[in-house]
Amino acid sequence: MLLDFHKLGAWRWVLTAICAVMSLFLLLPILFIVALSFGNSRWLIFPPPGWTLKWYEELFADPRWIGAALTSAKIGVIVMVISVVLGLLASLALVRGTFRGRAVLRAFFLTPMVLPVVIVAVALYAAFLRLGLNGTLPGFVIAHVIVALPFAIITITGALETFDPAIEDAAILCGASPWEARLRVTLPGIRHGLFSAAIFSFLISWDEVVLAIFMASPTLQTLPVKVWTTLRQDLTPVIAAASTLLVALTVLLMIAAAVLRKGKSE
Amino acid sequence: MTPFLHINGIRKTYGDVVATDHVELSIAEGEFMTFLGPSGSGKSTTLYILAGFQDPTSGDIKLRGQSILQTPSHKRNIGMVFQRYTLFPHLTVGENVAFPLRVRRMGQSEVAEKVKRALALVRLDGFEDRMPAKMSGGQQQRVALARALVYDPPVLLMDEPLSALDKKLREEIQFEIRRIHQETGVTILYVTHDQEEALRLSDRIAIFNKGKIEQVGTGPELYANPATHFVADFIGDSAFLAGELAGVAEGRAGLRFADGSTVAAVPLHGRGIAGQAAELMLRPERIELSPEPGPEGASLPVTVEDLTFLGNNTTVSARTGWGGALSVRLNFGHPLSARIARGDRLHIRWAPEAAHAFVRG
Amino acid sequence: MFSAATRRGSGLGFAMSAILLLAAFFVIPVVFLLTRSVTEPQLGLQNYAALVGSTTYAKVFFNTFLVAGVVTLVTVLIAFPVAWALAIMPGRWASVVFAIILLSMWTNLLARTYAWMVLLQQTGLINRMLKAIGLIDQPLQLTNNLIGVTIGMVYIMLPFMILPLMGVIKKIDPAILQAAALCGATKWQALTRVLVPLAAPGIASGALMVFVMSLGYYVTPSLLGGTANMMLAELIAQQVQSLVNWGMGGAAAFLLLLVTLGLYAVQLRFFEPKEGR
Ligand SMILES: Nc1ncnc2c1ncn2[C@@H]1O[C@H](COP(=O)(O)OP(=O)(O)OP(=O)(O)O)[C@@H](O)[C@H]1O
Ligand SMILES: [Mg+2]
Repeated sequence: MLLDFHKLGAWRWVLTAICAVMSLFLLLPILFIVALSFGNSRWLIFPPPGWTLKWYEELFADPRWIGAALTSAKIGVIVMVISVVLGLLASLALVRGTFRGRAVLRAFFLTPMVLPVVIVAVALYAAFLRLGLNGTLPGFVIAHVIVALPFAIITITGALETFDPAIEDAAILCGASPWEARLRVTLPGIRHGLFSAAIFSFLISWDEVVLAIFMASPTLQTLPVKVWTTLRQDLTPVIAAASTLLVALTVLLMIAAAVLRKGKSE
Repeated sequence: MTPFLHINGIRKTYGDVVATDHVELSIAEGEFMTFLGPSGSGKSTTLYILAGFQDPTSGDIKLRGQSILQTPSHKRNIGMVFQRYTLFPHLTVGENVAFPLRVRRMGQSEVAEKVKRALALVRLDGFEDRMPAKMSGGQQQRVALARALVYDPPVLLMDEPLSALDKKLREEIQFEIRRIHQETGVTILYVTHDQEEALRLSDRIAIFNKGKIEQVGTGPELYANPATHFVADFIGDSAFLAGELAGVAEGRAGLRFADGSTVAAVPLHGRGIAGQAAELMLRPERIELSPEPGPEGASLPVTVEDLTFLGNNTTVSARTGWGGALSVRLNFGHPLSARIARGDRLHIRWAPEAAHAFVRG
Repeated sequence: MFSAATRRGSGLGFAMSAILLLAAFFVIPVVFLLTRSVTEPQLGLQNYAALVGSTTYAKVFFNTFLVAGVVTLVTVLIAFPVAWALAIMPGRWASVVFAIILLSMWTNLLARTYAWMVLLQQTGLINRMLKAIGLIDQPLQLTNNLIGVTIGMVYIMLPFMILPLMGVIKKIDPAILQAAALCGATKWQALTRVLVPLAAPGIASGALMVFVMSLGYYVTPSLLGGTANMMLAELIAQQVQSLVNWGMGGAAAFLLLLVTLGLYAVQLRFFEPKEGR
């Protein structure tokens, strides 16, 4: 009854309407900035009096924006590699290990995810002041890995749990050493999980604001830091242009993920 | 002479749980040996110790006189087919079968040649490029068999490889396994809890119970001469009639039952003295029903309780004078089957070797 | 479970690199920060006394819990019907709505917050539309106060509530609701007495998660709330960054941590599937 869409009667329309309104609520702000980024009003009048590409020109003409984007990409890639490798090792321990206290260890690995980022940021800021890591690339990388790792662990653990260890055992009896079996059988078997973990880790690093604000220095900042500092001065349409490019990137990654998922279900 | 494969007093405990308890078994080269027993009786544990996935708490395993316990799994050169499907999901059938040869760094042409032969052996020629997910369960297990045999292991382990398949497919593949055993001459250790499967496939069967081997023998030996109550119960149908020993001589016993009736000269398993509790085992297809009593000591009076027609036979449920339940099978067309009815008083009789007595305790 | 791969050794060694990293750059720094709350400027509980004693700080706590509470409530009220619809809607429409939810969730946080800053400002689209349809004469103050923060946060939290709740509702057997109808329950009775109770664990665990996330949120409150309406995360950042008062920052962080971990423990205890040892 209530769980059969076609038997809901009039309620069906109520539910559909709520869904539609909520979808518009989620979608409109995103479409709105995309539109504004092409509008020629510096004061963000909507609908804009005319259309222009000048905000994009301004964005690409400013080496600070380009530099910040490149920094973000560089940090994102390093964070991605480190958190997938550490996440894989940790997941092997959590899923295939036999030691006691695995549940506790898993909860421990996930705490950076549940703790408010601001606490992690402030704590690391203090530690890095002492270690001289503030405003350095390693400082950024370490901070981002701390928050990306839990997501990598969740994703890889999930993939590993559905991969039958008997398959690994079979490879070993076939003559593969334990490491050979992991590399040639288990890794390809969970490759979808590893790819998702990589995408997640990159996106988390790429979008990280709070940690980045605390890690940044005038000479080294990521894209979100640049957006943040600009936002605090004024709401220039250049940010709309930058945001639109970020939305485009999100859409691309979502399509990539969808294609991946399709490949997996085949 | 040293046996080909010697499982020497293997004991394995997990904390307080005893998984196997001094398992002792010698297996000849080329033999098809089946481990048969109920769930949790230690069959898989024994197999996994052979494979090297578990270390025994004590005991040793010798192949051609050499202990293999110190050899890690991947160097034991043993083949195995698992209960679950364990084909490598990202590799084609051909690549799956080639895997053991690749990790042995074998040359390309030799690999191709051996893969072809192994797939032909399991009748899957031409399936090289198929992905495992696109095959039926039976086909997958055949590929797993090819993968386990392609490197010519001296011993092949199979842990309930057919239990996930339906009955018809199971019988088909049992037949294939038998043929492959004959063609390759590989020594096979096979685990199952299906007695029919064990009888159909094996040269010899080891009956497992609570971590111990109760008896080892060919199917007919186990059927005709069960060493324990457990084996008698596990192989074939049987009725057990409780009584006490009346006298013991030369491995044969007389039994007395609650209503005073007695039987004599029954082969006795286990040691016992007069007065001790014991039971008489009778198989429904090995006793005869008749209006007249049989020879003294190999016959008992019974009352017919129920008749069930089962096609090729009619099964008669009956009770002895003191209330012990048993059943008798009358083949189709047996003259009695048309004449008897519920409540009839008749006699059962048996050949001297058909009954067995077990001391209880 | 038999497994050759981990047979030798327990497998704990694999986790060592991650454990060491977290110990060095997460556990030790956080513990260090917290100890500073009782050692700076001198040994004692003076920072906590100041936090509890002052009306300025009381207002920060009030703001934080008020916003988190309202955001959670509004999110649950919107998310339940949406999750319910998504769980049973025919495939194509459900996947469109689903894609929109994922898109909004994965769009850069600052981009989304920027959109709301522009939409909600005095000359923004919302105010001009409300004026155009004659609901208001004077533009409403929607940013630099808690209204803006609440709208922006609901926007961010909705996906975190909808997605898990959808999973929970999908797992409910439709036959149970058919049985309810056969027993004579009206639709409303079936909803309030069967569907909502069955979905309650999902609602509770989602609400707890949204509440915890809202308590410690930094970006949206500081951009949409302005300095006059500070929340806890901003207070911590401000104490440390602008006032260089590590003792006070540590104390505020400790209180936030305590509430968060407390609620996390509740979540683990009551809503996670039990695991074997
Ligand atoms: N890793 C383990 N930890 C603790 N006990 C175990 C472990 N593995 C097996 N056991 C116990 O050892 C005993 C024998 O198990 P085993 O798997 O060998 O039985 P089996 O004869 O193969 O049964 P089945 O027919 O169900 O496969 C059982 O009581 C089982 O519970
Ligand atoms: Mg088993």
